[in-house]
Amino acid sequence: MDEMHYAPTVRLCRRRFLHIAAAAASSLGLAACSSNPTPAPGPTTSAGAATAPGSSTPVVIGVAISTTGSNGDTGTYQQQGYQLWEEAVNAKGGLLGRPVKFLFYDDQSDPTTSSRLYEKLITQDSVDLVLGPYASNVTAAVAQVTERYHYPMIAVGAAATEIWQKGYKYVFGLASTTDLQYSTLIRDVIGPLKYSTVALIYEDSLFPISEINGAREYLKKLETKVVLDEKYPPKATDLSSVLTHVRDANPDVVLGGTYTPDSELIVRQAKELNVNPKLYAFTVGPGDPNFVANLGADADWITSPSIWEPVINTPGNAEFVQRYESRFNRSIDYHVATGYSGGMVLDAAVKEAGSLDRDKVRDALANIRLQTVLPGEYRVDQTGAQIGHVMMSIQIQNGKRVVVAPKNLATGTVMAPTPPWNER
Amino acid sequence: MIDPPHAAPSVTEELSAVPESGSGSTAVARLPDNRALRAQQWNTLLPKTYVILLALTVIWIVVFPQVAPLYYVSLALVVLLTVVLGVSWNIISGYTGYISFGHAGFFGIGSYIGALLIAHNLTAWWLAAIVAGVGTALLALPMGALTLRLRGPYFAITMFGLSELARIIVSSWDSLTGGGAGLYLPFLEDRTSNFYAMGILAVVAISVAYLIATSGLGLKLMCIREDEVAAQTLGVNTTWYKIGAFALSAFFPGVAGAVYARQIGYIDPITVFGVIWSIRAVATTMFGGQGTIIGPILGGIVLTLASEWAWAENAFAYQIVFGGLIVLVVLFMPGGVMRLLELRGWIPRTRQL
Amino acid sequence: MTLVQVIINGVLLGGVYALFAAGLNMIVGVMRVINLAHGELMMLGAYTTFMLFSLAHVNPLLSIPASAALMLILGMALQRLMVERVVRQPLLSSLLLTFGLSTLFLGVALNVWTGDQRSVSYLSGSLSVGGLQISVVRMVAFAVAVALTGATFLFLRCSTFGKTIRATAQHPDAAQACGIDVTRVRMVTFGIGSALAAAAGSLVSMMFTFNPEIGQAFLPKAFAVIVLGGLGSFVGALLGALVLGVSETVAGYFSSGQRAESVAFVILIVMLMIRPAGLFGTNE
Repeated sequence: MDEMHYAPTVRLCRRRFLHIAAAAASSLGLAACSSNPTPAPGPTTSAGAATAPGSSTPVVIGVAISTTGSNGDTGTYQQQGYQLWEEAVNAKGGLLGRPVKFLFYDDQSDPTTSSRLYEKLITQDSVDLVLGPYASNVTAAVAQVTERYHYPMIAVGAAATEIWQKGYKYVFGLASTTDLQYSTLIRDVIGPLKYSTVALIYEDSLFPISEINGAREYLKKLETKVVLDEKYPPKATDLSSVLTHVRDANPDVVLGGTYTPDSELIVRQAKELNVNPKLYAFTVGPGDPNFVANLGADADWITSPSIWEPVINTPGNAEFVQRYESRFNRSIDYHVATGYSGGMVLDAAVKEAGSLDRDKVRDALANIRLQTVLPGEYRVDQTGAQIGHVMMSIQIQNGKRVVVAPKNLATGTVMAPTPPWNER
Repeated sequence: MIDPPHAAPSVTEELSAVPESGSGSTAVARLPDNRALRAQQWNTLLPKTYVILLALTVIWIVVFPQVAPLYYVSLALVVLLTVVLGVSWNIISGYTGYISFGHAGFFGIGSYIGALLIAHNLTAWWLAAIVAGVGTALLALPMGALTLRLRGPYFAITMFGLSELARIIVSSWDSLTGGGAGLYLPFLEDRTSNFYAMGILAVVAISVAYLIATSGLGLKLMCIREDEVAAQTLGVNTTWYKIGAFALSAFFPGVAGAVYARQIGYIDPITVFGVIWSIRAVATTMFGGQGTIIGPILGGIVLTLASEWAWAENAFAYQIVFGGLIVLVVLFMPGGVMRLLELRGWIPRTRQL
Repeated sequence: MTLVQVIINGVLLGGVYALFAAGLNMIVGVMRVINLAHGELMMLGAYTTFMLFSLAHVNPLLSIPASAALMLILGMALQRLMVERVVRQPLLSSLLLTFGLSTLFLGVALNVWTGDQRSVSYLSGSLSVGGLQISVVRMVAFAVAVALTGATFLFLRCSTFGKTIRATAQHPDAAQACGIDVTRVRMVTFGIGSALAAAAGSLVSMMFTFNPEIGQAFLPKAFAVIVLGGLGSFVGALLGALVLGVSETVAGYFSSGQRAESVAFVILIVMLMIRPAGLFGTNE
C-alpha cells in the first residue's frame, strides 16, 4: 500500500529495468576488477634528484610520512632528512649505479591511512624499497604491511620496544628502543646527583608509556623511589591537575614521557603553579628547536635524552648539518638526522646485498654494522631492534642544548639543582 | 523532527485504515488507472530487482578479492564499512527519526570487544566479531532506554556525549584495554577473510534494512518519526520499538569495528572512537537520502570513492568534503539524492527504495 | 591549602567557560538553534589571536577586540546566509547544519594551520597571595571574561537593543507583531554570540595549548554549563560555569586528568536524563 506518485514521463518496462540493473551491476564489477590502476593523483616526488642524462631506470623508494596532521612538523623534518640523503647518494652515482627517486605520500599521522598508503606503494606503485614513516603508533600499523609483503623497512621514525616483540623479520630499528631512552640520563645524570625521589608523568599513548616503562627499570637499579606515577590524556590542553599532584609529591626529579606540546605546557603550568623539583627531564620536547623558541628562559635547566645533536663529532655530521641549514634555511632537528641515517643504512645494505633483491637486502640489514651521523653505530639484534646506538643526555643551558653525557660525546657538564621559578 | 524526505504523508492513515500487505489495493484505487498499473509494476519489480542485485553483490564479494589488486580490495573494504555504518545509522536516525551523533561509540565498543577476544585468543575471529556485535547491541539496550526519552537535538548531543564517555572509559581502563598504548592483534598474512566478513555484513545489513523498511515494523518506526504521540495513540509501543531499532543499529557497527580491528592489527581509543566515524555515517546517509534503503548505500559508495580521490590531493579533504556536504544537503537538498530523484519523478515514492 | 588552590583554579577556569557559554546561551535562547559550530568559532578566535601575536606581535589582550570583531562579522554572515534558512524548520535541521559547519571549519583550520599545538606565551608565572599560587594568566583571563560577560548582561538588561533581543527570545511572533525586525535581531545575536566565543578563544589561546580540535573539546562544556544553569538565564549560566570549572579541577586533583575530561559529559548526560523534558525553556 505504498502511495505511488509518478510523473507521466516515467516509462516503465520490466525487461528494460532488469537489463539496466544487470548492466549496472556488472559494470560495477568490471570496473572494480580492472587491472589498470588509475595513476594516483597527488603524491609528491622528491625534488632535486640529480640524474645523469641517459641514466638507467631509477630506484624508487616509497615513503608515507606525516607532513600534515598532528605530527606534521616532525614528519617534515624526517622527510627532509630523506631528501638530503637522496641528493647525497645521487651525487655519488646513486644506488648500484642507478639514481634514487623517492615517492612520498602524506599519511596525516594516521595509522590506518599510512598502512593503506604503504600497501598502495607496494602493490600499486611497485616501489623497489621502502623507508619508515614517522611515529611509533603509525609504524606499528605499517609494520604489518611491510612484513606481509616482505619489504624490509628501516623504522626510522619509531622506537617503541613493542614493535620488535612481534617476531617481525623485516623491520629494523635505527635509534635506541624506547625502553632505553632514559638509560643514559638516569645512569649518568640522576645517579651521580644522588637524587632519590622521582615523579613520572607521561602521555597516555604508545611511545611515552613505553619510555616510562623502560625508565622504571633503570630507576630500580638506582634505588630511587617513585613518588608519583601519572598518565594524562593525549593532546591534553590543561595539565594543572597533574602538576598539582607533582607539587604535592615534592619529588627531586620530574621525569616526563612527553611530546613537544605537552612538555611545553608542563613547563608553563609548572611555573604558574610554582612546581620546583631539583631536575626536570622530558623526552621529546627539549630536542625540538621550537621548545627554546617558545619558552625562552623558562627552558633553561631542563634535561632530555637525545638521539642526536648537531654538535657531536660523528663522521660527516658537521657538513651534514651545514648542508641542511643552507638547503632548508631553518634550524635542524634530530628527525632530519634519523631520516638521513636511515638512507645511509639502506645504502650500505643494498651495497652489501649487491642487488635490490629484498630478501638479500633484509639479510644485509640484519648483519651489517656501520657508522652514521648518529652516535654509536648501526647494529641490530636478532629481532631487528637497534642495539648499537648510544643515547645521549642534554641540558638546556642559556638557551643552548649542551651534551652532558656520555663523557666521550659531552660538550659540558650538568647544572643542578634547578633554582625555583621565582628565583630566576 | 526533520522534514520527512521519504514518508508517505498518510502513514498514520495507512496504519489505522488498511491491513499491512505488500501490494497496493484500496489506497491506490484513488489514483488514475495507468498510475495504478505502474504502481503495481514497481511493486512486483522492485523486490525481484533487489534479489538479483543481492545475488550479483554476493558474487562480486566472492570474486573480487581473487582478481583485484590488493589496494583496491582494501579500498573496497572501506567502502563496505562505510555502507554498513550508514545503513545501520539509518535504522535509528533515518527510519525512526532519532538522529544520533554518537554512532562512533558503537564502532569503538565493538572494535575493543572483538580485539580483546582475538588478542587473547579466546574464540575464532569470526565468532569474536559476532560477539562484538551482540555485545554492543546489548550495551545499547540500557543506553537507549535512558536516552531515547530525550527529544531530537538533546538525543543527538547526548549520544555524542556517550560516545566520548565510552572512549574515556576504554582509555582509562588500561588494565583491560591497554589504555592509550592501544591493542595489538595477531599479525595476519592474508586478510581476504576480512573482506568477506565485511561483505557479508554489508549484505546482511542491507537486507535487514530492506526487510524493516518494507514491513510493518518499518511503518511503525516511520510513524514514530512522523509523530510519536500519534503513534502512541494508535497503540504502537514506541518505547520498545525505538529501543529495538537502537540496539539493532548498534549491532552492525559493533561487528564492523571488530573486523576493522583485525584488518588494521592495532587499535587505540582515539582511532576507533573518533568522531570521524560518526561523521561518515551521517554525511553519507544524508547525502544519499536518509530514511531510504538505497540512500546510505549510494552515499557510502560515492562519497568513499570521491574522498579517496580527493584526499590524495588534499590532506583534510574528508572533513571539508563531508562537512560541506552536510551543509549543502541541509540547505539545498534535504532528503539527499534519493529525494531529489523523487522530486524529479525519476523514481517513485516508495518505502522499497 | 592545596584544595583551596584547586578550587580557586576551578573558579578562574569557570570564568572562561561562562564567557564561552554566554554566547551559545544567547543563540539558543533567541533562535532555538543549537549551534554545534560554536566551538569552532571559539577556535577561530584563538587562532586570530595567535596569528596576530606571532606575525605582528600584537598584545594578545589587545587582540581580543579584533578577534571578537572578526567573528562578529563571520557569525552574522553565517546566520544570514545559512542559519536563517533553517530557523523555521524543525530543530534538527539547524543541528545538522551547524554540525556540518563545525566539521567544515575544522577541516579548513587543519588545512591552514595543521594539527600542531600552538600557544600564545604572553603571560606566565604566578602571583603569591597568602600562600596560594594564583596563575597570572588565569587571573587576567578571568577578569576579562567576567568583564565581557557582565557587559553583555548589562547590554541585554538595560539597552534598547538588548531588550529587543530579549523580547525576540521570549516570543518571536509577538516581537514581530510589535514591529521588531526579528531577522535582523537573529543575525546580530548570532554575531554577538560568535564574538563572545571568539573572545573566550583568545583567552584560551593564552591559557592552554590548542589546535583546531579544541573547539570540539570545549563545546560539551558549553552545553554542560547551559543545562546546569538553565537556558536564557545569564546568572544561571555563570553559576553553572563555576560549578563545572570547580568540578573539573577537583576531579582532576582527586583522580586523574582523564576523569576530569569526562566531567562535562557526565554532567551533560545526567542533567539531560533527570530533566528529560528539556531544560531549554517552556515553549518547545
